[in-house]
Amino acid sequence: MFEKSLYDLIRGLRNHKGTEKEYIQNCLKECRSEIRNQDMDVKATALLKLIYLEMVGHDMSWASFHVLEVMSSPKYHQKRVGYLGAVQSFRPDTEVLMLATNLLKKDLSATLATTMSLPIAALPHIITPSLALSVLADLLPRLSHSHPAIRKKTIVTLYRLALVYPETLRAAWPKIKERLMDKNEDPSVTAAIVNVVVELGWRRPNDFLPLAPRLFELLVDSGNNWMAIKLIKLFATLTPLEPRLVRKLLPPLTDLIRTTPAMSLLYECINGIIQGGILGDGEDFSAREEIASLCVSKLRGMISINSDPNLKYVALLAFNRIVVTHPFLVAQQEDVILECIDSEDISIRIKALDLVQGMVSSDNLVSIVSRLMRQLKASSASSDQQNGLQRPDLETDSSDEASIGPTGKSKSQEHAPPLPEDYTVDVIGRILYMCSQGNYASLSDFDWYIDVLTQLIRITPVPRAVDSDSELSAPVPKYLATDISERIGNEIRNMAVKVKAMRPAAVQAAELIITRLFRLSSESASSHLVVSGALKPTAWVAGEYAFQLSSPDDTLGNLLHLLPRIENPEILATCLQTITKLFSFIAGDDRAQWTAERKSNMSLLMARVIHVLEPLAFHPYLEVQERGVEFTELLKLTAEAASGQAPSTDDLQQDPPLLLTQAIPSLFNGWELNSVALGAQKNVPMPEGLDLDEPIHSNLSALLAQADSLMLPAQDEDEFEAYYNQKAPVTSIASNEPAIKRLVEAPEEVSGSYQQAGEESYLDADIVARRKAERAERNRDDPFYILESSRSGGTSTPIHNILQKENGPGLDIDSIPIMKLDLETVSTGLGDQGTLASSRQQPPSFPRSKPRQRAMVAADETLGGSGPSTPRGYDSENNSDSFAKARVKKLKQSLLQVDSSHLGHLSLDTSGQASDELTYDPEKQQRDEAEMAQAMKEVQRLRLEMQRANERIQVAQGVPAEGVIVKKKAKSKKAKVDGEGGGEPSGGLAITKMKKKKAVEGDGSSGVAVGEPVKARKKKAKRIVQLDEGTRAVESL
Amino acid sequence: MINAFLVFNGQGQPRLTKFYTQLDTSIQQRLISEIFTLVSNRPQGSCNFLPLPPLLAASGTSQSASEPHNDVPSLVTYRHYATLYFIIISTSTESPLALIDLIQVYVESLDRLFENVCELDLIFNFETLHAALGEMIVGGVVIETNLERIVSGVRAQGTVAKRPVNEGRGAGLGSGLGMGGNFVWHGR
Repeated sequence: MFEKSLYDLIRGLRNHKGTEKEYIQNCLKECRSEIRNQDMDVKATALLKLIYLEMVGHDMSWASFHVLEVMSSPKYHQKRVGYLGAVQSFRPDTEVLMLATNLLKKDLSATLATTMSLPIAALPHIITPSLALSVLADLLPRLSHSHPAIRKKTIVTLYRLALVYPETLRAAWPKIKERLMDKNEDPSVTAAIVNVVVELGWRRPNDFLPLAPRLFELLVDSGNNWMAIKLIKLFATLTPLEPRLVRKLLPPLTDLIRTTPAMSLLYECINGIIQGGILGDGEDFSAREEIASLCVSKLRGMISINSDPNLKYVALLAFNRIVVTHPFLVAQQEDVILECIDSEDISIRIKALDLVQGMVSSDNLVSIVSRLMRQLKASSASSDQQNGLQRPDLETDSSDEASIGPTGKSKSQEHAPPLPEDYTVDVIGRILYMCSQGNYASLSDFDWYIDVLTQLIRITPVPRAVDSDSELSAPVPKYLATDISERIGNEIRNMAVKVKAMRPAAVQAAELIITRLFRLSSESASSHLVVSGALKPTAWVAGEYAFQLSSPDDTLGNLLHLLPRIENPEILATCLQTITKLFSFIAGDDRAQWTAERKSNMSLLMARVIHVLEPLAFHPYLEVQERGVEFTELLKLTAEAASGQAPSTDDLQQDPPLLLTQAIPSLFNGWELNSVALGAQKNVPMPEGLDLDEPIHSNLSALLAQADSLMLPAQDEDEFEAYYNQKAPVTSIASNEPAIKRLVEAPEEVSGSYQQAGEESYLDADIVARRKAERAERNRDDPFYILESSRSGGTSTPIHNILQKENGPGLDIDSIPIMKLDLETVSTGLGDQGTLASSRQQPPSFPRSKPRQRAMVAADETLGGSGPSTPRGYDSENNSDSFAKARVKKLKQSLLQVDSSHLGHLSLDTSGQASDELTYDPEKQQRDEAEMAQAMKEVQRLRLEMQRANERIQVAQGVPAEGVIVKKKAKSKKAKVDGEGGGEPSGGLAITKMKKKKAVEGDGSSGVAVGEPVKARKKKAKRIVQLDEGTRAVESL
Repeated sequence: MINAFLVFNGQGQPRLTKFYTQLDTSIQQRLISEIFTLVSNRPQGSCNFLPLPPLLAASGTSQSASEPHNDVPSLVTYRHYATLYFIIISTSTESPLALIDLIQVYVESLDRLFENVCELDLIFNFETLHAALGEMIVGGVVIETNLERIVSGVRAQGTVAKRPVNEGRGAGLGSGLGMGGNFVWHGR
């Protein structure tokens, strides 16, 4: 048989464009047989091919044993392939690693430097605590190898050993230190040591303080910029512990800042000064003042508009660090930082956002948020255009997005590229955070906030939480899954509940949102579900404050239409409640006459509500079911009562049925609901005699089983529903759309004019129009505002007329200092609603007009002893939510993270007693080694055994036809094969031997946990053990 | 420290993957494709740093970094040469600007090894790529930044294979990685 080389494989890959998958599967199949070949050359080539395919995503964990074989080849070029395979394919659960120990030890003491460096470089990738323990003795002598390349690699490898097995450092650190102190050491080795010390340094800065003189010397004399950068980083962690270092460091650092031509070094100098806390505080005030201003001015230069984007980015990084300790220094740079928010580069934007979030005050909140809003609006508009849609059609969008998946947005991007979804969500989250922080402390204009919220709902990308498939395959980022639109809705609810003055506006906003959702769902195909989480809080607002709705009937109709399309049971439950509340508000008027007209209206309405609610009585979610049953039955009763009550005639006055006017409204007219502090519920004392563990029903499972047989009836839209629910879409929202697009695309006036660019640029036309109308209404009697003249027929104001006559048309009205006339709003031609500029559109340099309404924000209610009930001062519910989430996130380890926390517990103090307890004990080491050797012999035998068993299975099963890409599957398959098909006799034997060997290990005082990486086999062993016990149990019976 | 070093081309096909922590192959591939999505959507003239891909952002850094958390990968640096992207994922103990230089050093050393390197060289000699990287970074720590030493270190391991003769340059990949056009940081 003729084998392919790697070269052939790659060429073949390139020649099979389109049918690569098939080709690769064939190659994998070939490799599987080739790698079993006795010829080491063939084996190594097959392995190399597998490594190549692994890079492209084809799992090769099944070949780990063969990797080991190639590693043990005496020829260097084959050995190298083997080690590469180990580095690339070994995972924490790779079983054969324990078999490699001997080999690694052997190669570590090879004569050739090239051979020796193979295990040294591979160890960091595969290291485990037990492996570290056994190779440490072989690795340490390499620190004094004659070849500098070996020395520096060894140093790094020792560091990685220390990460999993901290005791390494006790033995290794004195020697590493010796290398560092040696002035004749090769500079590149010194640099490598410095790199390692930096990694160690931030964990245990105290241990490295004694090195400071030598490090300082290196910083001043070495002339190596790479190393200087690292040294400065290291010093930044040392200075907080040793303030005297500052005085020593300042001159060389200042000198470097002034002279170095290397931007990276300059930046790190500044960064080091910031991080080392050298800025500001201290006795030598003038010098520090000087360096602080020097740093900040350099950073400002980096960030300013025309500079290199990389510098912008790193300067923002630096500012993000300064802001923690010196917020005022950063606040001075607000102007340039704000410019960065609008950068087209998302990395820069995000960093700027991080900064801005901490800089928000009541003075700049509006301008910052409006900047962000404009971005969002522009990007959502452009993504709509790309989809060829006029309005963001929520439902269709979601299906499109899902099918595109993460691999790529192949859509072309002409202008203002659509922002990535997670970025949009992130920005919205930040806007909400900025506005709501400190119980809305920075917010002075709540009207504006509600409009912003309304607009945000429209911009929000569709949540993909519904997409359950992807969630199974991999962890979906949390912040995408939590529905951001629900958070926005929650804000509206908070407004309605907490800020009494804003309640009407909030209710109106909620109404608008419901109307919009209704319109969207009636436009799209009937099968689409309503997924926006905003419905839940807004529906609640609409129901709770129904008396402030502008049109309760319409809202009720909209909700009735939406209800069958809601999937999320929690939203459904809330909407059910809302519908009943609305119904009671509409129907429950006890002063109105019970006329024939009212009677028929009511019975129609009830029939309609019942029709919608009835199917929910069988809903699988209990809360929904319960409310559904409750309200349906109640309404049925009421409907009967209503039909029985004859209408009043001219002669006879008839009262409406009491059930309608008294009973139902009394369900909802209780106390006013207020917001409750987070955790207040914990303070509610437990009632005596309450036993939560007591089963509610003795035979619950039988009941549930019965319930399972009930199916939710299919929701088909019949004519009845269509008749009532299909409505012409509300036109006022859509009709103004083109104007908005024009406004968005219009170039902004001049740089720095963002305060003046009106709300039109980020709010939709209808919202703007409403604001203007409200403003006009409010200012009607205000002598400082000139009323829009077009009310009286389209001519200019008299003043304007006079001025024009006197001075000619060239007069710049804006320059008249008396009042600000914004001609722009007039000329945009928003018709008779347009009014002159309001106070909010003035730049901040003008004395800000006092907020019109100093709205009171209600505090949360809580129960006595509220200490723990309000964990962090006071914040709205969303924030504390996200905060908690952030915390949870923090606890989880990051994907690529190398955990160095173990190092924190180890003391490196080499002076005095510490050296006594140095656990590196040659005798013990020898004992360990002897034990190890014994274990290895055992392992060797086992290995043969395993291999034979394996071969037998392979013969029995034939070579699996296709390679398996996903590792997990491959593993389980293999395990199954081993366990079941593998023939009881040999498998059982091997396993019992395993057990024996482990027992031997267990006796050893060293605790060499060789058995540790063998998880899968352990499992098997356990199963057998259980079997054994089972039979024993039978025997004993 | 450096958590991963990746090279892939303009279609997102990996040319070199090196993770300094053990990671499932499928997760490696997801990470690569996430980074590729980020990197391929960069507008002209943007900086060489990427926002964290969702896979890393989800499990790691929350913005409120009250205590220094230097173990968490927080920086994704990339450079674009002709048809190739070079990516470094690192923690905050690395200097961002120096990483840009580090990629440059790597590419220059490849250029030295292959003599006017192009993507084809990398495709057919990925063992040499690993060797060169191994001379610069071990276990996520930079051990060498000197061009000469890197090159001689690789050469000491054996001859570097030449480009296959019949696989000409004209394969539509342009000539070389076009390093001349790139600005160079004076970090060294």
